[in-house]
Amino acid sequence: MIRRMLRVMGDDAPTLRLLIALTVVGAVLQGVAFALLVPLIQALLEGDFSRLWLWIALEATILVVFSVLNYRTKMLGLSSSASLTLHLWQRLGDHIAKLPLGWFDAEKVGSVSRLASVGVFSVSGFPTQMLGMLINAFVTPAVVVALMFVFQWQLALVAAITAPLLWAAYQIAGAIVAAVDRRTHGANVRTANRLIEFAQTQPVLRAFGRTAQGHKLLDDALVAQRKADNTLIAWGGVVGDGIFRLTVQAAFTAILLTGIALTAGTTIGPVQLIALLILATRFVQPLMEGAAAGGAMRTVRNNLDRMDTVFGTSPLPEPMSAVSLGEPSVEFEDVRFGYDDREVLHDVSFTAAPRTMTALVGPSGSGKTTITRLVARFWDIGSGAVRIAGEDVRSMPVEHLMGQLSFVFQEVYLFSGTIRDNILMARSDATEDQLREAIRLARVDEITSRLPHGLDTPVGEGGSALSGGERQRVSIARAILKDAPIVLLDEATAALDAENEALVQDALNALTANRTLIVVAHRLQTIAAADQILFLEHGKIVERGAHDELIDVQGRYADFWRERSRARGWRLGTRG
Amino acid sequence: MNAARTQAKGEMRDAGGLAIPGVGGLWRLLRPIRGRLIIACVIGTIGAAASIVPFIAVAQLAQVLLASGAGATAAVWQWGWIAVGALLLRLLCVFVAGGITHFADTRFQLIVRRRMAARLGKVPLGWFTARTSGTVKKSVSDDVLHMHHLVAHTALEIVDGVVVPVVTLAYLFSINGAMSLFVMLPLLVGIGLYGAQLAKVRPRMADYSTAMGEISGTAVEFVQGIGVVKTFGQTGRAYRRFLDATARFMDLMSGVMRSTLRSAALAEVVLAPLTSLVVITAAGAVLSGAGWIPPVDVIPFVLLGLGVTAPLMALFFSATATTQAAEASERVLALLATDTLPESDAPRVPADATIALERVRFSYDGQYAALDGIDLRLEPGTTTALVGRSGSGKTTIAKLIPRFWDPDSGRITLGGVDLRDIASSELHRHVTFVFQDVQLLSTSVTENIRLAKPTATSAEVEAAARAAQIHDRILELPRGYDSVVGDDALFSGGEAQRISIARAFLADPPILVLDEATAFADPESEALIQDALSALAIGRTLLVIAHRLSTIQGADQIAVVDRGCIAERGTHDELLARAGTYATLWANHERSRSWHPEIRPSAESARKVNR
Repeated sequence: MIRRMLRVMGDDAPTLRLLIALTVVGAVLQGVAFALLVPLIQALLEGDFSRLWLWIALEATILVVFSVLNYRTKMLGLSSSASLTLHLWQRLGDHIAKLPLGWFDAEKVGSVSRLASVGVFSVSGFPTQMLGMLINAFVTPAVVVALMFVFQWQLALVAAITAPLLWAAYQIAGAIVAAVDRRTHGANVRTANRLIEFAQTQPVLRAFGRTAQGHKLLDDALVAQRKADNTLIAWGGVVGDGIFRLTVQAAFTAILLTGIALTAGTTIGPVQLIALLILATRFVQPLMEGAAAGGAMRTVRNNLDRMDTVFGTSPLPEPMSAVSLGEPSVEFEDVRFGYDDREVLHDVSFTAAPRTMTALVGPSGSGKTTITRLVARFWDIGSGAVRIAGEDVRSMPVEHLMGQLSFVFQEVYLFSGTIRDNILMARSDATEDQLREAIRLARVDEITSRLPHGLDTPVGEGGSALSGGERQRVSIARAILKDAPIVLLDEATAALDAENEALVQDALNALTANRTLIVVAHRLQTIAAADQILFLEHGKIVERGAHDELIDVQGRYADFWRERSRARGWRLGTRG
Repeated sequence: MNAARTQAKGEMRDAGGLAIPGVGGLWRLLRPIRGRLIIACVIGTIGAAASIVPFIAVAQLAQVLLASGAGATAAVWQWGWIAVGALLLRLLCVFVAGGITHFADTRFQLIVRRRMAARLGKVPLGWFTARTSGTVKKSVSDDVLHMHHLVAHTALEIVDGVVVPVVTLAYLFSINGAMSLFVMLPLLVGIGLYGAQLAKVRPRMADYSTAMGEISGTAVEFVQGIGVVKTFGQTGRAYRRFLDATARFMDLMSGVMRSTLRSAALAEVVLAPLTSLVVITAAGAVLSGAGWIPPVDVIPFVLLGLGVTAPLMALFFSATATTQAAEASERVLALLATDTLPESDAPRVPADATIALERVRFSYDGQYAALDGIDLRLEPGTTTALVGRSGSGKTTIAKLIPRFWDPDSGRITLGGVDLRDIASSELHRHVTFVFQDVQLLSTSVTENIRLAKPTATSAEVEAAARAAQIHDRILELPRGYDSVVGDDALFSGGEAQRISIARAFLADPPILVLDEATAFADPESEALIQDALSALAIGRTLLVIAHRLSTIQGADQIAVVDRGCIAERGTHDELLARAGTYATLWANHERSRSWHPEIRPSAESARKVNR
């Protein structure tokens, strides 16, 4: 665990090492001071005051050294925890910024923000809060046992024999808790998912009168969760924790009873026994405190695991040197690609010539969106090549690649800031005229004219102050200003209302003119106008060509077209 | 009322001291397990006292040994066994008390979560709109979980933290008062230092939470917007906001920390067992040297004095967990106090399936009126279409009918009875809706359809699926109707849509509220969905939120909604003849039916932006 800690700490590892070293020295000093109680108590009980004061003076000296050291350690720990926290944030941020776009799914948003707040604190607080206790719990008793041999080898031997048992008990307890933990984790996840489902499906649950009492699925999950938690307590708490505590107490009991037996057999004098028993309590107490800290340790370890996973995800390799690019074509050559081990694109090859429109058509899940994302290098492909303007995307610096592309996807993300900020993001050196023109072409002027602060209206977090169609147009203005030669478009404007739809269409016309366009097409008229249609099914291109050619083939595309055309004239009414 | 509650909360926070706000509310919340907690505390007290006995036994043993040498074997063994027995008793008490609080906690969690779920089932739907499902999960799952420390540990820790020092000091005072004062010396100094530290930190807690929230917020923005920042080569920008937030937080924290650093480090030094060791042995040497106390009486002080700070340290260490738990309990209590939609005590039964909205006003936020005096009548068996731009209020009208919210003023009647006077089960028998966002549960396909009517037979479920054009697709699944959604039943958008239509068939209500966008949620299965919807609509009172105007051309009544009012109403032909808003919408619609993206430079080229 310390090793993982050092890895996560990066440049701060030396500070952590120093802290560990100082704490270990402190714990050893403490052990020695405890051991010196034996001659001290003997001197006290024998009434030898000159020797007693000598030992007390020695103890006081150790205390001074220990206190200075302890104070320094604490100060170093507390003051370095600030920079540690800050550096951890920076390292986390730096790393995340370099990860492939494909890594960022919806689930990551929540988990990363949790990791960045609570997680960072849990990890960076470890050196100040947990480390000392952990080291004291194990180093001090070890020193105490070692020095016990100096005074009385039989009792020391008994204490030493319990050490491997304690170690075994600690390991067994840890293994049991971890095993049960994994099982409880499953129940936790199921409850969490049912709760999310419960919240998300409220309208349906209510429409059919299935809220709380009627929603058996949630209640089942809650009951199962309780059962799993009870198992965790029974096994983890009672058995796991119990084994360790029982072993610690058995160790003390063994020392105590052996000591009494030895005194009865006059191997040990009474005074020596008393002194040694006092020492034995010093052996047991830190161990007990260590056992009590187990729960807090587990939390730190979980956070460390999560952080380690993030740091363990490697960024896509990226060359530094710029490349010279030709005409804006897009080319896929025998591309195979899969998420995890499930291949979703099989041997996809096509070329989108400069300034042509390629329409991706096919059932949902056929791989249309994946193709557009591979162009933008959300992920690296398994085999084959994706080329832009004749150059493999893997051999282009990210800024270079992104400079070639504009995307208009369904999900539009705006930063909290003004409309102007969000558009200028595409090109911070744009002139006022260029900005005005982009705004006019994207029909953002229609929005700003309605708003009291015009272009300087804040858009809210994620753009929440604007409607879907308005956000869409701001993002198109951004893309127009960026003026990239290749446009990736996911055409899902259907859900917008009639008025916005017309405005978005105006905006798109301005964006796509004279560009190479790859469109995930839903609308028949778009498909029909494409220079090239790629009809996808199960991650393969099954038919390709222009609309008329494909209709003549009378294959899958023709079926699709017929079915879609039939849907066009639909009318709804209550009289069949 | 809200303001009053917030204020009350603030007062409680001040009165509650450390950070245990709303103690009264928490006490009520704990009612089902209170008895168990008290028993656990009693057992914990016995255990805490027992934990001191072995030390006392060793001290007594020392007395016996020194008084009569190794000869008094019987007495020595007796104290030995007392120590062993006390150790076992302590262990037993720790486990029994801990076991009771832990098992009580799981019971408590189940009870509270059930109560929260029941409450959430009755709050206005707007509550959910204003929050993400993640927040609900966080409250019901995580917040209740975070109360664990408070329920299962805090009480026992306090018992230990109080009983151990008190019993120890009582025992030590019974031996020698002067020595006891020396034992208390480091303890008092340590407590004083910690207290001073807490006093400095507490006023900054609010700033601390704010800064912390800012970090989470910027981290979310950073991760969510990373696609955008990367495209525009602006990765540094959003990232810098995150780093700025962390830097601000650190400025704040280091200010607090600098002021408490010294006292925190000093407290640690003072409370270290080693400090007690030197103080006690030195005092013992002085007092026994002066003959005020026999040397053997110093032994109990060495034995017990070193451990007296440990339970207090444990309390300090768990202060963070306890504070978090207390904050979590406050959020749980707030959720349990959320206002719910009122249910009528004397429900009435509607006479027929006529829906009437009378001067309905409604606002989501209490300021901006989403609906501003709507009058609308849906006659049985007719189709009414709501038309208008997004944000005009047409969806709001549709959602007031299944009573997702109640109107602020005016009323909605079903068969002449105000919706608020109809039992919710009765209302659900009359109204069903098919909305755009399909909501399937992760359970079997059968159960998903049966949601609409739990008593339905398999044959009824299958008939509904057939009518919804989804039966054949279900049979293709690995386990047919028993396939589990999200597991081995992976539906496309259009297929999921048809499952929701099957539900509506099964519910078979006289009134149907329909979002027309449903029909083109999935271009691949558009025709099938349309067939299903056409079949479903027959013979019912139909309210359609319309997007594609061509679909509702034949409606009996078209209402054009604009800024929360009905601007125009009539049939398609009547409205076209008026040449008003509807006619404009229709023209736009006609135009967009032929639009497609164009890459050949059109009349206006974007290129000139950059020239």
